[in-house]
Amino acid sequence: MATTRTLFDQELAELKSGVVRMGSMVEQAIAESMRALVDRNNVLAKEVIARDQEVNELHRQLRERAFMIMATQQPVARDLRLIVSFQHMVLELERMGDHAVGIARAALRLNDLPQLKPYIDLPKMAEITESQVHEILGAVIEADQDRARAIAERDDEVDALYHKIWDELVGFMVQDPANVQRAAILLFLAKDLERIADRVTNIAEDVVFLHTGRIVELS
Amino acid sequence: MQTEIVPPTVDGADVEIKLDARRVNFFYGDFQALHDASLAVQARKITALIGPSGCGKTTFLRIFNRMHDLTPGTRATGEVLLDGHNVLSPDTDVINLRRQVGMLFQRANPFPKSIYDNVAYGPHILGWSKPQIDEIVEESLKDTGLWDEVKDRLRRSALNLSGGQQQRLCLARALAVKPEVILMDEPASALDPIATLRIEELMQELKKRYTIVIVTHNMQQSARVSDFTAFMLMNERRAGEVIEFGPTDDIFNRPKDSRTEDYITGRFG
Repeated sequence: MATTRTLFDQELAELKSGVVRMGSMVEQAIAESMRALVDRNNVLAKEVIARDQEVNELHRQLRERAFMIMATQQPVARDLRLIVSFQHMVLELERMGDHAVGIARAALRLNDLPQLKPYIDLPKMAEITESQVHEILGAVIEADQDRARAIAERDDEVDALYHKIWDELVGFMVQDPANVQRAAILLFLAKDLERIADRVTNIAEDVVFLHTGRIVELS
Repeated sequence: MQTEIVPPTVDGADVEIKLDARRVNFFYGDFQALHDASLAVQARKITALIGPSGCGKTTFLRIFNRMHDLTPGTRATGEVLLDGHNVLSPDTDVINLRRQVGMLFQRANPFPKSIYDNVAYGPHILGWSKPQIDEIVEESLKDTGLWDEVKDRLRRSALNLSGGQQQRLCLARALAVKPEVILMDEPASALDPIATLRIEELMQELKKRYTIVIVTHNMQQSARVSDFTAFMLMNERRAGEVIEFGPTDDIFNRPKDSRTEDYITGRFG
C-alpha cells in the first residue's frame, strides 16, 4: 500500500541516519584511542577525549528528536519499536564513547611510563570489539536480526581474551609491586573494551526487538 | 462451541465466549457489505473493531442485536451465537435480544423527556414496579457516574445536559434494562477529550459486569481501552472482512498481517 506518512517516514530516516552517524563517531573514537595506546601518541589520545563532546551533543539531539517524534506522531507497532530501540541504541553508543575516553585517558597515563610489556592480546581484543561495533551498525542499517545475533555471539571471544589479560596482569602485579600501577591501568583499559563488547550485545538485542517485538537476552 | 478465531485469554483464565459470530455475510440488496466475518467475543472483556471507513465495522456491530432489521432490503447469513443461541434465527425474540444486547450510538440520543424518564423508559415498558424502577434509575445513574450530578434535577429535561452527560445518560438508559452485552458505536467521537476519558474510565468499570464491543476510529482509544481488537478491511469487491483478531497488545505491537501494520501505523492509503 502507498505510504500516507511521508513526513513521518522522513523523520524516521533522519533519526536512523543520526544513529548510524553517532555509531561511526564512536567506532572511530575506539580505534583511535587504541592507536594512541599502541603508538604512544598523546596528541591522538587528547583528540579522542575532546571529540567526545561532539558525541554527547549528537546524543542529546537524537534523544530530543526521538522524543518529539513520539510526542507528535504517536507511533505504534514497528514505528514505536524503531524509535524506542534507537533511543536505547544512542544511549549505549554514548556510553561506548565514554569507554573510548577511558581508554584514551589510560593511554595518556601509560604513555608517560615505561611500557610494561608488548601489547598483544589487548590489540586483538580491540580488533574484535571494533569489528563488532562496525558490524552492529550494519545490522542496524539493514535491521538484520540474524546478523545481530551472530555479532552478539562474538562477545564470548572478547570475554575469553579479557580473562586471559586479567590473569596475565595480576601475574605481573604479584611478581613485582613496581608493576602494580601500570598493570592496574591496563586492567581498567581492558575492562573498557570488555564493556564496549557488552554494549554491542545490548544493541544486538535492540535489533532483534525491532524485528520481532520480543525483548530477548543475547548475553 | 467457538469459531476458529478464538481470542486467547488475557490473564490465563478459562475463556467464556459471550458472542460468537461465525461466517457472517451481510447484504444491502445486491451489495455485499460483509464477507465471512467471524469474531469470538469474550465475556466481560472489551473487544474493539477498527478499520477504515466503509469496512463494515458498524454493520457488523449492528448485526449483533439485529439493528439491521430496521433497514429495509437487508439480510444477514451465517450465525451470531449469544450464549449459544443464534440471534439471526427467525425465532429470536428481537425485543428481548435488544434488552440483552444494548447499544450506545455515536451521538447521544436522549428522549425529549426528563432525566428520570429516559432511564425509566425501558423498565417501564418491561412492566417493572415503581419502587423497582426508582431503584434501577438510581443504580444506573450511579453506574455511569451521573447520579451526583443530576440527583437534584431528575425531573428536568435530559436535553439540558452537556454532550458528555447526555452520552452517559444514554448508557444509563441501556444499563437500566440489565443487558449482558453493550455495543458501542464510536461512543466518544462527538465528545471533548475530558468527556471521552470519562467514558473510557466508565468502560473499565463496566467490563467487570458486562461484555463490551466497541467500534472506534480512534486507534489510540482502541489501544487504551480494549482487551481484544479486530482489524477489518474491505476486500476487492468492497465487502468488509476481518483481517486480524487478537489481544490488543499484539495487534498494536506485533501485528501479524502487514495490512494491519499498514493501517495502525497510518500507512494505509
